[in-house]
Amino acid sequence: MNIKASFFLARTTIFRGNKGTLVMTILIMTLAYVNLIFISSVFGGIVEAINEQSIDNLYSNIVITPADDEVYIKNKDAINSIDTIPGIVASSAHYINDAVISYDENNNGRDIQQGKWIIKSIDVEDESKTTQISDSIIEGEYLEANDRNKIVIGKEIAGKHGGDLDHLSLGGVYVGDKIDVKFNNDIKRTYTIKGIFSTKNSQADQMAFITTKELESMLHVHNLASEIIVKIDEKGQEEKYIEQIRQLGLHDEDIKTWEELTGFTSSASKSFTMISIILGAIGTIVAGVTIFIIIFVSIVNKRRQIGILKAIGMKESTIILSFIMQAIFYAIIGIIIGVSIILFIVRPFFINNPLDFPVGWVSLKITFNIIKISNISLMVAALIGGFIPAFRGTKESILDTIWG
Amino acid sequence: MIIEVKKLKKTYEGKIPTHALKDVSFGVKKGEFVALMGRSGSGKSTLLHQLGLLDAPSSGEIIIDGTNVVVFTEKQKTEFRLKKLGYVFQSYALLPELTALESVYLPLMLSDIPKAQYIKKATEMLEKVGLGERIHHLPKEMSGGEQQRVAIARALVNDPAILFADEPTANLDSESSETILELFKNLNKEIGQTIIMVTHEPDDKKHVDRVIWLKDGIIKPEGT
Repeated sequence: MNIKASFFLARTTIFRGNKGTLVMTILIMTLAYVNLIFISSVFGGIVEAINEQSIDNLYSNIVITPADDEVYIKNKDAINSIDTIPGIVASSAHYINDAVISYDENNNGRDIQQGKWIIKSIDVEDESKTTQISDSIIEGEYLEANDRNKIVIGKEIAGKHGGDLDHLSLGGVYVGDKIDVKFNNDIKRTYTIKGIFSTKNSQADQMAFITTKELESMLHVHNLASEIIVKIDEKGQEEKYIEQIRQLGLHDEDIKTWEELTGFTSSASKSFTMISIILGAIGTIVAGVTIFIIIFVSIVNKRRQIGILKAIGMKESTIILSFIMQAIFYAIIGIIIGVSIILFIVRPFFINNPLDFPVGWVSLKITFNIIKISNISLMVAALIGGFIPAFRGTKESILDTIWG
Repeated sequence: MIIEVKKLKKTYEGKIPTHALKDVSFGVKKGEFVALMGRSGSGKSTLLHQLGLLDAPSSGEIIIDGTNVVVFTEKQKTEFRLKKLGYVFQSYALLPELTALESVYLPLMLSDIPKAQYIKKATEMLEKVGLGERIHHLPKEMSGGEQQRVAIARALVNDPAILFADEPTANLDSESSETILELFKNLNKEIGQTIIMVTHEPDDKKHVDRVIWLKDGIIKPEGT
């Protein structure tokens, strides 16, 4: 094999051949590459949106729940020390209560709408550091530290606020309306709706919040928690912090990462990841077939020239390498232009105009890994797509190629 | 003898096998200018293809420079074509994207000769065929005669032991044809280049040392 001669032939063919064909070939390679990145990035964005919704509105990064057979996390010292661990941004302790919430619109005991929902108590300041519910208020206001007899509820509880569960809701309540809450210890109390929130996570929108002081007075407890959610500064390092939290003395408590708790959303994100992989594989095959066709057509047009090159003593391997070099060149240019289009046109566009999916606002998640995998995929596709037709083309006899 | 052909046969298989060459034997001396002549279908081009290792005979021996080339592998044939043989085809057979200079130095590039050296040698070869002023021209910018002279320069640049020419003037006007044949004659006389040329032009006889007449795949004495 003579690499210098292969390169020489590839270079002259590319740059002195038909310019229109060259432009079209590069355009096709660019589109094939953009397609590879775009599909992966959209699905990556969807998966990220699903995960972010779970983190921002439900679990934060780490969730601590009581030991088996316990109702509360009782290690007060440990609860108070979590925030001192370097790298932990904040923690928020909740009491959780399954309560029956009812609404009597006409105050006449008829047409009472009611349902069983989860009420969580929150320390307003801590909660604001660990979740983003406070930023999702669509009507009224979020709770304040000293609020009593006030409640914020998700849109699925309120009803008629764009939720999916109107048939289970209170039928349409608004800020200022009074609702009755019967806690699971049979204490019943009336609350004024202070705010209604809407996230992109249906599970979060099925919760209601009151202040911790309010619920502690109801349950006659103090400085305990049914769950503690913990926010860390670096997603993906949860296991490291779980180890440190356990060292505070929370040995028997159940401590899980947000990923372990996602359930439905986890299976949804896995499905999206799987779809992304399948579409990526199909995209790679399409790119490979495209390169195959481009090189195949080139070889058909250069059949006679291949015969001449063989006749003057050029090895088959040198000729094959020249076609592979052409295919690799098209792939590299396609990658360079494709990356430029993705990073400087498509990505800024979707940052400014994210897609409105039920799981959240979805932008493109373009990671170095996606670019690396797409680059490798296209290069391998170019290698195979260039090699097969070149190999077959050079195997024809010299007489057949020159004289047909 | 630079070429010895012994009992060479070539049969194209098919429903009805075609015997293109039937027991052909002859020899060519070093420095000889030989024409293979005969009517269409006589087997002259088939014989040239066997001698030039472009095709494999059905049986027989071809001994070039003391080596039986019929038993060569494809790799050995490729190497042998590069180092020992030169070709001039009927229809120029130049690569459209290469200039005259590039076409000529391509075989030298394959022989791993340093760049400066192969450019110098290719330029000299183009000057020798009268194209010193056209070295940077593409085939489409040259006449048929000029293109054929580029092909001749390419065939000769590796100093081949034998130059094969397959009807090199068939596509040329009479003036260009005369130029090409004069060029062959001069190469033969000046540097002792062995040339085997297929032609169907009776007038070409005057340029060659000897004519091998073929009829129906058999060598016939001249005039039969």
